Order: sequence, then structure tokens, then C-alpha cells
Amino acid sequence: MIEIDVQLPLDRFTLKVNHKSESIAIALLGPSGCGKTSLLEVIAGLRRIAAGRVLVDGEVLTDTAGKVSMKPERRRVGYVPQDSMLFPHLDVRGNVRFGLKRTGGDSAESERRFQEAVEVLEIGPLLSRRPYSLSGGERQRVALARALATAPRLLLLDEPLAALDMELKERILPYLLRVRAMKTRMVYVTHNVGEAIALADEAIVLREGGIEAHGAPREVLSFSALASIDPQVRFDNILDGSISARDDEDGTATFTPASGGHLVVTATPDLVPGVRATFTVSAEDVLVATHALDGVSARNVLEARITAVERQERQVLLRANASGCEWIAKVTQGAARSLGLSEDAEGLTIWLVVKTQALRRLR
Amino acid sequence: MLTGEELSILWLTLGIAITSTLAILPLGILGAWMLSRWRGPGRGLVETILSLPLVLPPTAVGLLLLQLLAKSGPIGRALDALGVEVVFTWKAVVLACATMSFPLLVRPLRTAFDEVEPRLIALARTLGRGPFDVFLHLTLPMSWRGLVTGALLAFSRALGEFGATILIAGSIPGRTQTLSLAIFQRAETGHDAEAMRLSGLTVLVAFGLMWTTELITTRRTRRLRT
Repeated sequence: MIEIDVQLPLDRFTLKVNHKSESIAIALLGPSGCGKTSLLEVIAGLRRIAAGRVLVDGEVLTDTAGKVSMKPERRRVGYVPQDSMLFPHLDVRGNVRFGLKRTGGDSAESERRFQEAVEVLEIGPLLSRRPYSLSGGERQRVALARALATAPRLLLLDEPLAALDMELKERILPYLLRVRAMKTRMVYVTHNVGEAIALADEAIVLREGGIEAHGAPREVLSFSALASIDPQVRFDNILDGSISARDDEDGTATFTPASGGHLVVTATPDLVPGVRATFTVSAEDVLVATHALDGVSARNVLEARITAVERQERQVLLRANASGCEWIAKVTQGAARSLGLSEDAEGLTIWLVVKTQALRRLR
Repeated sequence: MLTGEELSILWLTLGIAITSTLAILPLGILGAWMLSRWRGPGRGLVETILSLPLVLPPTAVGLLLLQLLAKSGPIGRALDALGVEVVFTWKAVVLACATMSFPLLVRPLRTAFDEVEPRLIALARTLGRGPFDVFLHLTLPMSWRGLVTGALLAFSRALGEFGATILIAGSIPGRTQTLSLAIFQRAETGHDAEAMRLSGLTVLVAFGLMWTTELITTRRTRRLRT
């Protein structure tokens, strides 16, 4: 349980947040400069607030009325900042071990946590490297491992804006899905709606001044509204699941998302049945048809039911459910008009067309 | 080759400079850290007082120390009661060197502490480490270059200290006569050749010292590059 009721004066406005949450993973969205990072810093104890209180699992971290301000080292709140902030004078091993020395005297337990963090974040091969020699994605992974190794009761993660342009293999999301599976409670700042849906049980949209909306990610991320307040927002379909079959002659594999359905993906040597995988395809790369298709080269034609139609400035975003799997597709206003996809098209059956090559693997 | 007398002067000088530098290291690190963290009022005043030995004539500092430490002085009287004699002993030389070189240690070190990214320090706290722990394992190692520079400057200053030393320790051969005092004494008594040999010796010592430090700091800096 996280309880936040704070007033935080920033340069241009005062951020007022009053929120309680039982969620394991919270996605925090909103435009740059709306106070997301500042809010994380308040929870971590790195920034003072004018008035208010912060509680985690009933324990008071900050309470201006009661004059309580727990020191950052006692909060057990892990923080992964945008720029990773690795310690330049230590190698990766030293960085990850930094927090182990003071968290409990049990060395076997801290050794176990170190090994676990290294394994989950797959940084074993990096342990002897220096921070300056790492790529952006590797740095994020090391910073996450460093925070995770201290067994925090809450993990705060600020996604770098550069992550939007990062290569797929650099993205940290697949690792976050694993951390989430460990039931580590987290707050994750992102600009990617797909990531929020894949990771979080709750989404909070922050706007200059306060909370704009919150609730289950699919409900909250009312696309048009979000796109108008955050120009950097991205809509990616993110599917986490496993490989169920492989066709070597064809060079393809069958991927089964955990939420349901089957997809044909390009087979790489390591994609064998049983392997866990995360695939992504951006909303722009999902084609929409209002009639069943014949003679299409694309291998994935999914029958789906429209759950929402959201009009943006130039484009229309569709949400549709195919065999239990929620999809986002983006079409132009003209295309939406000619297909008769208006706001009242909810419940209509459509076909989503996804090329094998458009499904790209995150890890 | 060096004569036995020259060698003993060299050893005495090096011994005193090393002792003086090591003696001011803990206090210098602590002082620099406090100055770096302390943003409240009085910071400027403390800094100015700490820097005084840099700008005062060394003889003035020496005289002041002499007044304090002489048997009639406030500190000297207490020390005398304990049976400790300072004035005109090697301890006086160390004290003179320590006083004169202290600001040279503190200044670069404080600058180095200031340059450690505050967000890095804050982040280290979230990993469960207290402020002193973070200082010891993050701030200090990251300020390595400032520490080496400061210690080197202090050591060099101690090697060449003259004005304050001659006032409270005199120039007693075999006891308080360091290289700079010996050069002065030789030159004054007309033994120019001996003075030149000793001067040459100081050049060698200084060169070796600077070169080693240069090697250490450039290598370390390459490793710290981000």
C-alpha cells in the first residue's frame, strides 16, 4: 500500500498529488516536466516537500505535520534514475554490491540477492566492466540490479526519454516484467502506453499540477487525451508469452501470448518451443480490415472485436480484442472514415493484419 | 655522491615532510568535507582563516607559533607541565610545516569534494548507506585526484618550509636543520659550492615527486572517465 498526499512547489507550478494504491506495479505517464521525476524523488527521500505525507505499507516515510522525514538510507526504497547514475569509480560488480554491505548482517542472504539480481538482469558478462564502457540499456540494467539487490519494498524507475529511440535489445521492459513477476512493488515512469499496459496493474497520468487520471491501464489511457498532453507518448503493442512451435522449413515460429491467441513470428536460432519471449509491434504497423481477407501475404490475420475508438488530431486509434489479447491499431482519419470506424463502432468485428517481420522481439 | 652529512639532511627533511603531511591528512580531509557540505553562514569566514597561512609572511606565522608554544606561552606552559618540549626540536619543524601546508591540502580537496555530483551522493543513500559511509566509499575515492594534488602540494610546501621553521625550531644541524635551512646557512657562511650541491638535491627530489604524481593521477583519471 502506497499513500501519497503531497504538495510540491516546482519552478512553474505546485504539484499536488493525493493518491492511495494497493497495486504491485504502477505506470506513471505524463509529459516531460510535469513532475514525475520530482514525485519519485519525494518518495525516495531525495527531495523535501512543502506539506504532506508519504506512507509505504503503513510506515510513515515523510510527514510534515508530524515532522517525520525518514532518511533515504532507512526507507528501503530503490531508485533507478533516468541517467542510471552508476558510480564511475567502481566496476559493475562494485556498483551492484554497493547496497549490500549495509542491508542486514546475513552475508549468505546478501550473496543470494546479488546472484539473483545479476541473473534476472543478465549482467553476468558485464560484472568486470566499467560504467563508461556500457551502452545506455546496459547501464539501466546495472542500475536496476543495484537497486534490486538491496531488496527494496518499493522500486522507483524513471525511464530515460532516450528509451523511446533506443534499439529494441536495449529496452529494459522485458527485465521489468521479470522483476514484476518477483512481486517487487514498483512505480515505473514511461511514455509508452503499450509498456504501461504490459507491465502495470494501475496507470496514473500526471499533468502539470496533479493527477489527470488513474485506474486500470486499459481504462485510463484514454489515448486521445494522453496524446494531447504528452506529445512524446507512444503506442506499442507488447506481447509477453512463449514459443509453442517452430517450423524450420518455413523459418518461422509460433508465438503464444500469455493473454491468448497465436502469432507467426520470424524464427531465430534461440526461439525453440518453451522459450519465453516478448514481442512488440507499433500501433502504426497493425493494419485493419472490416472484411475477412483472402490471399494476403501477411501471416497473421486476427479476427477481433473493437473495444474502443479514439479520435486523435490526425489519426484514429482503435483498441480491439483478438482471442483475449488486447491490440492497439492506428489508422488515418480518412481511412477510419472510409471503413466506417467512428466512435460508435464498438463491438464491431474487424480483422487485424500483422506481418511476421513487423513483430519484433524485445528479448 | 652525497656525503654522510648531506644524506642525513635529506633524510631529516623527507622524514619531516612526510610526518607533517600525514599528520594534517585526517584533519584536512575532515575540514575539506565539512567546508564542502556546509552551506550555512560563516563558511567564508572559516575559509579565510584557513587560508591565512597562504598569504601571511611565514615569519609572522612562526612568531605567532613561538608565542603560543614558548614555555611562557599558553600552550607551551601546558605542554611543559606534561614534560613535552616542542620549541627548537624536530616537533617544532613538523608543526611549522603542518601549519604552513594545511591550506594547500584543504583547498584542492574541497574543490574535488564539491565536484562530486550531489545526485550521485543522494542515490548512494537510497542504497542503504549513511552519510559518512557514502563519504568514505563514494566521495573520497571519487576525489582521489584532489587528495593526491593536495597532499603533494602540502608535502612540497613542507619540503621547502623556511620562515616559520627558523623562528620556532632554529637551524640546529642534525636536529632541526632541513634542506632549505642548510642551503641558507651554507650560502650565508660562504660555502657556495655546498649550497649549490644541496640546491641540486632539492631539484632532484622535487622532480621525482612531481613526475610520480603525474603518472599516478593520469592513470587514475583515465579509469574514472565516464
